[in-house]
Amino acid sequence: MLIEIDKLKLVLRGRQILAGVNMHMQRGEICGLLGPNGAGKSTTLSVLTGLREATSGSVLVLGMDARSQREEIHRQIGVLPEQAGFYDWMSAPDYLRWFASLYGRRLTAADTGQHLARVGLDVKNNEPIGTYSRGMRQRLGLARALLNSPKLLVLDEPTNGLDPRGRREIHDVLLGLSQQGDVGILLCTHLLDDVDRLCNRIGILHQGKTIVEGNLAELLATLQAGRRYRLHLLSPPRDAALPPGVRLIAKRGEWWHLDIGAVASPDAVWRALLDRGWVIAEIHAEGGGLEDLYLKLTMTEVAA
Amino acid sequence: MSPISLIARKESGELLKSGRGLAWLLALSVILSVLSLLLVSNTELSLLDNAQVVYMVMGTITALGALLAVVLGSDAIAGEKERGSLVPLLLAPLSTSDIVLGKMGGQVVAWGVTYLLSLPYLWAVGSSGQNLFEAIAYLALLGMPVVLGFGFYALGLSARFGSVRAALITALITLMLLASPLLLGPGLRQSAIGKVFDAVNPFSAAVNSFDSVVIDSQPLSMQLGRFLVTLIWLVMTLWFARRSVKIAEI
Repeated sequence: MLIEIDKLKLVLRGRQILAGVNMHMQRGEICGLLGPNGAGKSTTLSVLTGLREATSGSVLVLGMDARSQREEIHRQIGVLPEQAGFYDWMSAPDYLRWFASLYGRRLTAADTGQHLARVGLDVKNNEPIGTYSRGMRQRLGLARALLNSPKLLVLDEPTNGLDPRGRREIHDVLLGLSQQGDVGILLCTHLLDDVDRLCNRIGILHQGKTIVEGNLAELLATLQAGRRYRLHLLSPPRDAALPPGVRLIAKRGEWWHLDIGAVASPDAVWRALLDRGWVIAEIHAEGGGLEDLYLKLTMTEVAA
Repeated sequence: MSPISLIARKESGELLKSGRGLAWLLALSVILSVLSLLLVSNTELSLLDNAQVVYMVMGTITALGALLAVVLGSDAIAGEKERGSLVPLLLAPLSTSDIVLGKMGGQVVAWGVTYLLSLPYLWAVGSSGQNLFEAIAYLALLGMPVVLGFGFYALGLSARFGSVRAALITALITLMLLASPLLLGPGLRQSAIGKVFDAVNPFSAAVNSFDSVVIDSQPLSMQLGRFLVTLIWLVMTLWFARRSVKIAEI
């Protein structure tokens, strides 16, 4: 287990900030930590990384106690905090070299070049970090988090400030890491698209409590939050039978509204429909899926 | 290289390589240049004797060193927090002690740079007098604990307040209060309150020691009490800084 958080509670200055957080994560998983503003996501991360001490509950990271063994944990994890600050007068290679030395690592110029290239950061050698755009700083933060070849990567809003291409590149880096098998990634984000693309596990926090935790596909299937699409057909289909798991929600003229369920991949569904003689001109996503699940759960909690 | 020296290296790099650090050093040089020029002119016109001039430069160097230490100390924790660079540091495999001691190491380097920078000015105003060597030695011996003490005090405030502005204002007010012997007239200093203030004030201890060594040519044995006051100041501020960091739970 990379992360085992059970019944975590935190009281700060008489105020209950966390009121029962549970989270479990295995090697190779990408776990998304979701929740509305003020739900306690960043506080959970600060307890997880040993920066704050829990009032009660158990927090184990890589099998070690998050607070008392934090130095050893820090040696084995990489963290990209929400506010990824740097020393603006340093250049990126100098900064990475200096930061690596805190881990007892000596980086050559080729090593720093490799680390920067891995996150798609192309910089001139002596350009100070102070001149970087937000996206470049975000990439540098990710390069910093990866410096020690971590077993667990904790990322707070990693694609903040990145353009669509940049986001896709960071997604690819993270997916690549996860596919190597032994790195777990905990992603704290507001961007459900990031979670949808990257995560196989999620935890949703609301008012300092975990309201749901588990495998994303299973949760979507259990809570019947499929994915909805609107298809524009050029002619009525020869065979109107739908592939298994796909449900017709409504039909308005040439527009067919489908729920493709949680388990099937959209590409496989379109292929099956084309095979059935569907002449599809346009496909539009209509929400559903994770977004619906998220709204449903957080709204239910608010109503409760 | 130990974590403490790595942090200290970064802190010194900030002073010697960043635009802000270089601006401070440039300002320091300009102030000392103008002051030395004025004082040398006064000596040439026989308005002040050489020992008096050396004493004034020593006091000014100590005050400027303390001012720089206060600025660096106020920024040490709160500045990093405000710029978001403290959390990555806390998430590296370092203890809080390593970070704080490294930052204190940076203060030592800053004082070292200020001291080295001031030596040519001290030589320029004091080379024609008798006590230049004593002036250089006593500036190191008593100036260092006073200046570092101010730096550690500001660092403690920086951790407690978590705000550069609040720490800087508080530290500057304290510095101005303790450095008032440089500004107060001799009459006030001879009053009962002035005497008590002089006896416990590390800044007074250093300045009075400069006075008695450079102007009155008194021996080291006469300075031990004053040296002790500056050392107590250093130890107290060191304790305050470490305690503040612990309380602030950074």
